[in-house]
Amino acid sequence: MVERDGNPAPPDAPQIGVDEWVATHDVRREGGHGPLARIRRELQRVPTPGFYFAFGAAAALLPAFTTNDYILRVGFDTLLYMLLALGLNITVGYAGLLDLGYVAFYGFGAYAYAMLASPQFGLHWNTLAIIVVATVATALLGFLVALPSRRLLGDYLAILTLFFGQLFVTVYQNGNHISVLGFTRGYDVTGGPNGIPNIDNYDILGLKITTVRGYYYTALIMFLLVLSVVYLIDRSRTGRAWRSLREDPLAAELMGIPVNRLKLIAFAMGAAIAGMTGTLFAALNTAVFSADFDVPSLIIVYAILILGGAGSLGGVIIGALVVNVSLEVLRTPGHATYIFYAALAIGLVAFVRPWRWFGIVVGGTIAFGYVVHAIVSAVWPDGVAGSPAIGGPLGSFLDSWQLYPANPRTIGNVAFVALVFVCMLLTLLHGWVRWVALIPTLYLASFVWENRLVAEPSITRLILIGVILIVLMNLRPQGLRGTARVEIV
Amino acid sequence: MNWNLFVTELVAGITHGSVYALIALGYSMVYGILKLLNFAHGDIYMVGAFIGFGLITVFGGPLGLTVNVVLLLFLMFLCAMIGGGLTGVMIERFAYRRLRNAPRIAPLITALGVSFFLENGAQLVLGAQFQSYNTFSWANNPIGLNGFTLPAQARISYAQVIVVVGTIVLMIALTWFVQRTQTGKAMRATSFDREAAAMMGIDVDRVIVVTFFIGSALAGAAGVFNCIAYQQVWPYMGFQAGLFAFTAAVVGGIGNLPGAVLGGLLIGLAESFATGYLSSTFQQAIVFAILIGVMLLRPSGLLGTAAVQKV
Amino acid sequence: MLRRATLIASIAGLATLAIVASAVARPAAATASCSSGVSIGMLAPITGPAASIGADQLHWAQYAVSQWNNKSKVKLKVVQGDTQLDPAKASTLAQSFASNKSIMGVIGPAGSDEVIAASKILKKAGLAFASGSATRVSLTDGKYKGYFFRDVPNDGVQGPTAANYMLNTLKVKSGDTVMVVDDQESYSTGLADIVGKALQAKDVKVDRESVSQNATDFSSLVGKVTGSVKVVYLPFQLATQAQLFAQQLKAQGKSAIAFGSDGTFDSKSFNVSGSYISFFAPDVTTIKTDAAVVKAFNKQYPGGTSPFGAPNYVLAQMYSQAITKSCGDGKLTRAEVRKNLAKVSLGTTILGTPIKFTANGDIAGAKFHIFKIVNGKYVTVA
Repeated sequence: MVERDGNPAPPDAPQIGVDEWVATHDVRREGGHGPLARIRRELQRVPTPGFYFAFGAAAALLPAFTTNDYILRVGFDTLLYMLLALGLNITVGYAGLLDLGYVAFYGFGAYAYAMLASPQFGLHWNTLAIIVVATVATALLGFLVALPSRRLLGDYLAILTLFFGQLFVTVYQNGNHISVLGFTRGYDVTGGPNGIPNIDNYDILGLKITTVRGYYYTALIMFLLVLSVVYLIDRSRTGRAWRSLREDPLAAELMGIPVNRLKLIAFAMGAAIAGMTGTLFAALNTAVFSADFDVPSLIIVYAILILGGAGSLGGVIIGALVVNVSLEVLRTPGHATYIFYAALAIGLVAFVRPWRWFGIVVGGTIAFGYVVHAIVSAVWPDGVAGSPAIGGPLGSFLDSWQLYPANPRTIGNVAFVALVFVCMLLTLLHGWVRWVALIPTLYLASFVWENRLVAEPSITRLILIGVILIVLMNLRPQGLRGTARVEIV
Repeated sequence: MNWNLFVTELVAGITHGSVYALIALGYSMVYGILKLLNFAHGDIYMVGAFIGFGLITVFGGPLGLTVNVVLLLFLMFLCAMIGGGLTGVMIERFAYRRLRNAPRIAPLITALGVSFFLENGAQLVLGAQFQSYNTFSWANNPIGLNGFTLPAQARISYAQVIVVVGTIVLMIALTWFVQRTQTGKAMRATSFDREAAAMMGIDVDRVIVVTFFIGSALAGAAGVFNCIAYQQVWPYMGFQAGLFAFTAAVVGGIGNLPGAVLGGLLIGLAESFATGYLSSTFQQAIVFAILIGVMLLRPSGLLGTAAVQKV
Repeated sequence: MLRRATLIASIAGLATLAIVASAVARPAAATASCSSGVSIGMLAPITGPAASIGADQLHWAQYAVSQWNNKSKVKLKVVQGDTQLDPAKASTLAQSFASNKSIMGVIGPAGSDEVIAASKILKKAGLAFASGSATRVSLTDGKYKGYFFRDVPNDGVQGPTAANYMLNTLKVKSGDTVMVVDDQESYSTGLADIVGKALQAKDVKVDRESVSQNATDFSSLVGKVTGSVKVVYLPFQLATQAQLFAQQLKAQGKSAIAFGSDGTFDSKSFNVSGSYISFFAPDVTTIKTDAAVVKAFNKQYPGGTSPFGAPNYVLAQMYSQAITKSCGDGKLTRAEVRKNLAKVSLGTTILGTPIKFTANGDIAGAKFHIFKIVNGKYVTVA
């Protein structure tokens, strides 16, 4: 029991009307004892902008540590996703409007930049002017899309915006022979499937940005600016009104909040941020294609937002880091293998309680592996003919512990399907049976990983993203940093 | 007027619309009960199609079928429906059930996760190649090439007949089930008000499982129907079909079963007439434009009742 | 509260680990040497809707490398870069390959858009990039001379060949109609444009249509094929789609001839008798000397192959030779690989035709053959 000023008396001194549960409320709220809890308590005292500042400082230092353009490029992409998620956070997180056409606004901004700063129409406007024009135009487009749909409720708005997104891709994909009602010749407006290449770089008041490093900083500055704006809006009257609208539109309306207008503003603001981000995207890539703005990008942005927790600004940062960085890191089979085993280990540490079962599971799995390996190498020598993909100590341990059939494809596929079923079964078991069943499951998971998934890193990472979404949503439906209930009515 | 073109487009639209309608039914049933947009539904359709393809392969492949074609078709439907249904039930049990009372967006994202998982899992296990039912060259029984001649010299193949008739049979069966059986009544009650239904002694969990089974079985059957008429099977086939079926369900009034069928047919017809009379390039755009129009005029769908907000 | 803490801790742990792992593992693979192994980067749509093409390209390249490693001293490795046919992803991955010092050359990108998106970065990094499927004419106009190569002939060769065959042999006259259907990808629209223009120049009416690559049903489009339509040109990337189109033409009793492009060249999937098809080489699956290779490939990667797969096998072979030659002096640089790749000349390939590059990186002596499908078999007619 931590004795603190202003706390109620400890529960061993009985009070009238205060039972033990109430008396210990503060301690539970504070998160218990120990150094970890203390650190957390101290962290909670730091005002929220402090974290954003810390993030900005850390991110600004990244280029100092690396000269690797790839790492900077991933950092840039992550910042782009953060910007997109910030915009979506306004629409979905604050106002609770399910916008499934969001990346169309992103694409609209990118194409706007491409058309105004490329040989496509021979235009080369000033960068700042284009950013302003693109942002305002996207906001207007968002306003127009939201205008007829403001009376639509949740799912209908979702479907309408989904169509809008599809419509955008179709029109831009085929926009190289647009004729006015079929009377004129076809004009090439969007470059069609060939996109618009040779786009100018950002040129801010004479400062030409041509390197990845430059774009990284530009993205960071843009992100921090937008973040501060969104943070301030969140704290303002409008922000509070949005949240009340999200929690209960009916009650909000009764309180005299202009629901329709707020919805429109939220939609347009989200769109504007996406449009602005689009100009940055176009400038770095120096080419835009409609394929970049299709549903897969939408899913990634939603995954980031929801993973971090809709309605939370810090969640946006964490979500984008987790999703985009892990998507990139998982590309390389060597890294992926280490991460796979590390994730298994962390998962075991976090979830297997009490500790003695943790010991039994880990020890049991290792013993189980050696036994299986010994039996198989005696009975079926082909079953250990292969070797692991990674070297080092982990590799040599795996070689003597795991099975590596000579032709792993078919057996790996069967094992993969079996693993899916076994994992589902595992969630149905309880008590010690579950821990015992976990032992062969872990071995099977390692077998599938080593023999099938490692060979197909591109597919594996998408499967893992799917699994992470399912598991995380089941464990923590509000996302990592989300607190408020986000209800889409 | 070119009647041949008109009838051809009509036949094409109804055939394709039937497939959409079957998928849309499942979407609508699940939505009616859980208010969940099950994005993984299109992938169950893919699972059904692959089960059918597996059976063709087991029985000697399209060019050397070793069993009677009627028997094969029957087996394909049976297995695809059972397999699709079980997949749906498993998804419900292990991915959605814990999220019944979570914020609505959580199961939505889970559904996206399931969809990712199924598509890429299928690519891992089955490969990315387009496979073909090749129904047009089934041994001695070219159900795709032969057929009836309709007025104005338009033709309808046996494959298309199978799709349309099969869809009608399944719909009649579904209507009977929902309207006449005890479980069907429980389903309607649950979809009307889950809590009240639970209070009346209805085992809501069981009803939801049954709903998922039936809805997914219909999607599985749709997968086989689709490939009998249009042949191609590949791991990502569910996405586009799911999107259109979802549209169909919304246009008809989501949660409303006759609405789903109407929506499916409407989309199929809009698609084929847009191709036939306007432009194939902007086919999708035209379909979407029509739908946006419908939605703006009747936000709750053609047959849907106006949404009642529960406070 | 506790659960939340553990979750956040585990995520944080994961993120830290990811960063540590990438920091630790990258220097280990930072350099390539002839003795310890050389990597080739592969940019292809390995997953996503175009996976049927990309996964096949990857498999052929991997197969070539595994064959090579069995008999050669210099060991090669294929590093996967999954672009999902998204140019922006191709650009990020190009950056990744540029920074990965063990990579000495790139196979891909698969699509012409992706080539444009990735070219700047790859060129700056001094990497050669050789595509087995990007056929847009403008890619070899000299902009990427010495860097970009392809072992498939470009649309400027194929389009006119197909159009001329329609005019001269299939007797398409002025006043007749040809329906040209693209699949809304740049490969397809490029070919469709060229063929359309060549036909219009001879006063042939062109009915230009397009279908999404996700389309499954063509019966409504087939309904538009009237009696005056002599030929339907199908520059698709998927043989199964061309097959369905041709079959539905027959099912509806239309007399128009289906005419496919190299993307549909697959006798297993596209085999409706009476159709025509253009391809720059004899049929891989029917070449006798290739039977063993194809069989071994199918054993390792079951499920069939696409026409854009095998060119990547040849590219991997060419890279193997270029890298081995560069290793002659024990040193290896990207510039050296680039120069040697430009000089590689293969006398016999599984494509059935000798392959070497022109100065601009195109395939030398590119010529298209026309095949007619007779009883499901491809027969060379021109």
